[in-house]
Amino acid sequence: MICPVCRHPMIIVEYKKTELDYCPNCHGVWFDKGELELLLESAGAGTSKVMGEITKSPSIVNMERKRKCPICGKKMKKTRVGEKENVLLDVCEQGDGLWFDGGEVDQLVKIIEDKSHQNKEHYHVFNFMKEVFQAPAR
Amino acid sequence: MMWEQIRSNRIRSLVLVAGMGAFLVLLGLLLGYVIAGSGIAGLVIALVIFGVMNLIAYTQGDSILLNVAGARKIKREDHPRLWNVVEEMQIASQLPKMPDIYIIDDPSLNAFATGRDINHASVAITSGLLQKLNRDELQGVIAHEMGHVKNRDVVLMAWCSVLLGTIVILSYYGSRFMMFGGMSGGSRRNSRDNNNGGGAAALIMILAFVLMILAPIFAQLIYFAVSRKREYLADASSALYTRNPEGLASALDKLAASTTPVKNANQATAPMYIVNPFRAKNLNDLTSTHPPIQERIRILRAMAGNASYTAYNEAFSQIKGKKGGIINPQTASLVGAVPVVRPAGADSGPIEPVSDKVERTREVSDMMLKLDNYEMIDCDCGARLKVPPALQGQTVRCPRCGRTHQT
Repeated sequence: MICPVCRHPMIIVEYKKTELDYCPNCHGVWFDKGELELLLESAGAGTSKVMGEITKSPSIVNMERKRKCPICGKKMKKTRVGEKENVLLDVCEQGDGLWFDGGEVDQLVKIIEDKSHQNKEHYHVFNFMKEVFQAPAR
Repeated sequence: MMWEQIRSNRIRSLVLVAGMGAFLVLLGLLLGYVIAGSGIAGLVIALVIFGVMNLIAYTQGDSILLNVAGARKIKREDHPRLWNVVEEMQIASQLPKMPDIYIIDDPSLNAFATGRDINHASVAITSGLLQKLNRDELQGVIAHEMGHVKNRDVVLMAWCSVLLGTIVILSYYGSRFMMFGGMSGGSRRNSRDNNNGGGAAALIMILAFVLMILAPIFAQLIYFAVSRKREYLADASSALYTRNPEGLASALDKLAASTTPVKNANQATAPMYIVNPFRAKNLNDLTSTHPPIQERIRILRAMAGNASYTAYNEAFSQIKGKKGGIINPQTASLVGAVPVVRPAGADSGPIEPVSDKVERTREVSDMMLKLDNYEMIDCDCGARLKVPPALQGQTVRCPRCGRTHQT
């Protein structure tokens, strides 16, 4: 896969049998729909609801450039998720997956310290990403 | 006994194909008459196009189709489980030769068979389907595809699609020729032999126009009708080969639940897939290439402990409320009673070490990545890095622990 932000080839990181696409250049992360389902199923959470919920969440307008979905090529929607709606991410409206910019991943790792929303589906997603991306970006 | 079965079905299908052939002949005659003033010339052109297309289809048809679908051939070591299932079903279906096995890298769920005869056949399955199915279900799907090969459907459908293609090409170029070049030619001819009567010529002209519009549509409807019939027969064959109708029924359940369309499918290749690759809605009309999935599942589940053709016939007439069934009853009875064998613990048997969905997914996606020449690096921290060929030769830093790896 080619990084939708910097066009650099991406590597795949597999951890606990779940794959993430990771850009070694800009540190962006693509979380594919199929892998999201796998993660949530093995975590015992609802199967494919998380994509439905996130795709339905209201889109926000900001100065950041629109990203194109690396699967379907359509422009993705920017949205905020998390308990305090403090995680900004790009979501494919076709439901192909989620995109996190390099900086957003680091932000996410800090935010997730708050464990008050453990029963939410996105918690599993963010927690998994925190587990994978432990090494601080250089 | 199988021969009888194949023959009786063949005759029914051949009548339909002959109908398509008649369309082609009529179209050739009329176009020739209107454009060149000689029906025979038109017929010759039509048959030459048909012949050339057939030649291409015979020699390269399957590789073209597999290319269009984006299918890639695999070896035994790429996916031993799939290879093993195909091998079993080759023995069960008594096919003389092992078909080639192809994988289509597509998250949608589908499979198809193609080939020029039973000795040169291929079965293709999407990576999505391979991930989703357990062993029994995979066996049901592969047996369905082998049924298509064994029942000569692949050959028949190849013929049908070539006929359809020729009719479409003739109509397309014929109509353009008539509108821009043919009109003047026609009037010249009329002035040359005006004792022929302009009325008759005009009538033929109108007829040609109507036929050019209708022939591709009718030919397509026939093509779809042929294809629908073949699906039931392949389902019956699958039940017989696996001796386990539930395997295919449960696979169809999973297929029905998915609505992702196949990326590289088109109207011409649609009848080859195990379920309609577009599936916008499960419409049961003249333009659908497949019988409704739910109906196919109900028939398979109504077979009640028996996997024979007779049992499929009975289930078919019970569900459809029609007498007779889909298979000639005399030939079906020759197979006799075939008790259902539910493979006990097949999922945890020695052939399939892990049936877990996650394991299956990694197995298939790693296979696809290896076919794409990805390099696998196991980092000490427990993460596994998969590096594309474009980045090989460089150092890669593990995002989890920060270790660097030389690729």
